[in-house]
Amino acid sequence: MVIPKHILGTFDEVLTSLRKDLLMMAGLAERSLDRALKGLLQRDDDLCANAIADDEEIDQLEKQIDKDGFEILLRFQPVASDLRRVVSAIKLSPNIERVGDQATNIAKRARKLNRHPPLPEVEWIVPMQAYAMSMFKDSINAYVRENVELANSVCSRDKQLDDMNRDANKKLTERMMEDKDQLRGYFNLLLVSRALERVGDHATNIAEDAVYTAAAEDIRHKGSLIAST
Amino acid sequence: METPEQTVMERLEQGTAPPPEAELPPAHTFEVKNMSIWYDKKRAIDNVTMDIATKHVTAIIGPSGCGKSTFLRALNRMHELTPKTRLEGTVLLQGQDLYSSNIDPAIVRRRVGMVFQKSNPFPTMTIGENVIIGLRLNGVRDRKFLNERLEKSLRMAALWDEVKDDLHKPGTSLSGGQQQRLCIARTLAVEPEVILMDEPCSALDPIATAKIEELIYELKTNYTIVTVTHNMQQAGRISDFTAFFYMGRLIEFGATTKIFTNPTEKQTEDYITGRFG
Repeated sequence: MVIPKHILGTFDEVLTSLRKDLLMMAGLAERSLDRALKGLLQRDDDLCANAIADDEEIDQLEKQIDKDGFEILLRFQPVASDLRRVVSAIKLSPNIERVGDQATNIAKRARKLNRHPPLPEVEWIVPMQAYAMSMFKDSINAYVRENVELANSVCSRDKQLDDMNRDANKKLTERMMEDKDQLRGYFNLLLVSRALERVGDHATNIAEDAVYTAAAEDIRHKGSLIAST
Repeated sequence: METPEQTVMERLEQGTAPPPEAELPPAHTFEVKNMSIWYDKKRAIDNVTMDIATKHVTAIIGPSGCGKSTFLRALNRMHELTPKTRLEGTVLLQGQDLYSSNIDPAIVRRRVGMVFQKSNPFPTMTIGENVIIGLRLNGVRDRKFLNERLEKSLRMAALWDEVKDDLHKPGTSLSGGQQQRLCIARTLAVEPEVILMDEPCSALDPIATAKIEELIYELKTNYTIVTVTHNMQQAGRISDFTAFFYMGRLIEFGATTKIFTNPTEKQTEDYITGRFG
């Protein structure tokens, strides 16, 4: 999508810089999530440590995006699509930061699991991992490309991930009752499943902001509005 | 009535205010239909149709030379003061055709007052005389009435407290911002229905600008206001509706919030985001 340049070149520069920081942050969060899950599935503590280390940089970028976003609002008083892009960047970054937090949570749980013999039930996480990762990647792509269709598809996929989490919880709880020696292990897997479900929630939030950025349409909480009327 | 001491539960028990009744669309002070204006052979306004809401602020924005001032001046026939002008179309003020042959332009200008970019108090007159000159020229001689209207106009222009002890001093002795409010008081003194403002703050500092903006906000409870501005942020702050003009044509007209968050036309988007040219 080609956006004409502003007459004020410095405005283009700061908007580009904000966008680059956001993409860098999303890239780091994606890498951190990928490392944490590989650390879990491949029982690799080094990958888990790398995932946890990425979080610091993600946190710093969140602060940088806030600072730059506020400075753009102050210095350039953007309107219309520029305003939506800047406000969305400020709103998006906490969601990306929390995806990074979930990656850290998964990495920490994986390290605990790696101290004990492998659990075959870890395979239950694989489809959820692929699903949550694709939602996150698509949500960022939808924002970057201002693709409303892709963003809407992310939002509609969240329920499927919720169902997958519920199934995993049910099965893991059953396993906990059957095999009390592995209680801690199953509990850690349950928390991994929960973290992936939260990644889906953050991806949905990002996708909702992507729709607002592209089409100035607020699609949040539409279900609750229908339910209350 | 809520008090700060109330607990959250007390506030909840008290209940929320009933939802406001559905807002009716505002009535229209002006109905402009197919307006075109020529300066000699040059077409300055090209087939503009728009309605201006009563007791609301309408901002007109657009690049220099787009016709916004011409449009504004046509709303009280001021543009006719420029030689070789010609207007086609109709301008209805409260349903009455402003350009009908039996309408006196002087009466139109009393009903539709105007404030200009540069404050222009009459240099030989005192502050007080500047405010009531319009009434005097209309033959009002009753001193008590004039004094009452003088105070009322200066109060409405948020200037009374600053000048009440200096009414005999020259109007030009005031600061730029005060002079502009004096001109607004002069406009208000003849009790117009509409106030047109042509970049009223462009020569003022931020404090004087804020005072004028605050004044515009207060005045709209009683008056229909149409203002031309180059300042996008000002248009966003003070207006209810915004019209974007380009090369004499009305490109987009709508609620200010809509125009400044999600304009429909690409030309509007390019202009307000600074991507023009």
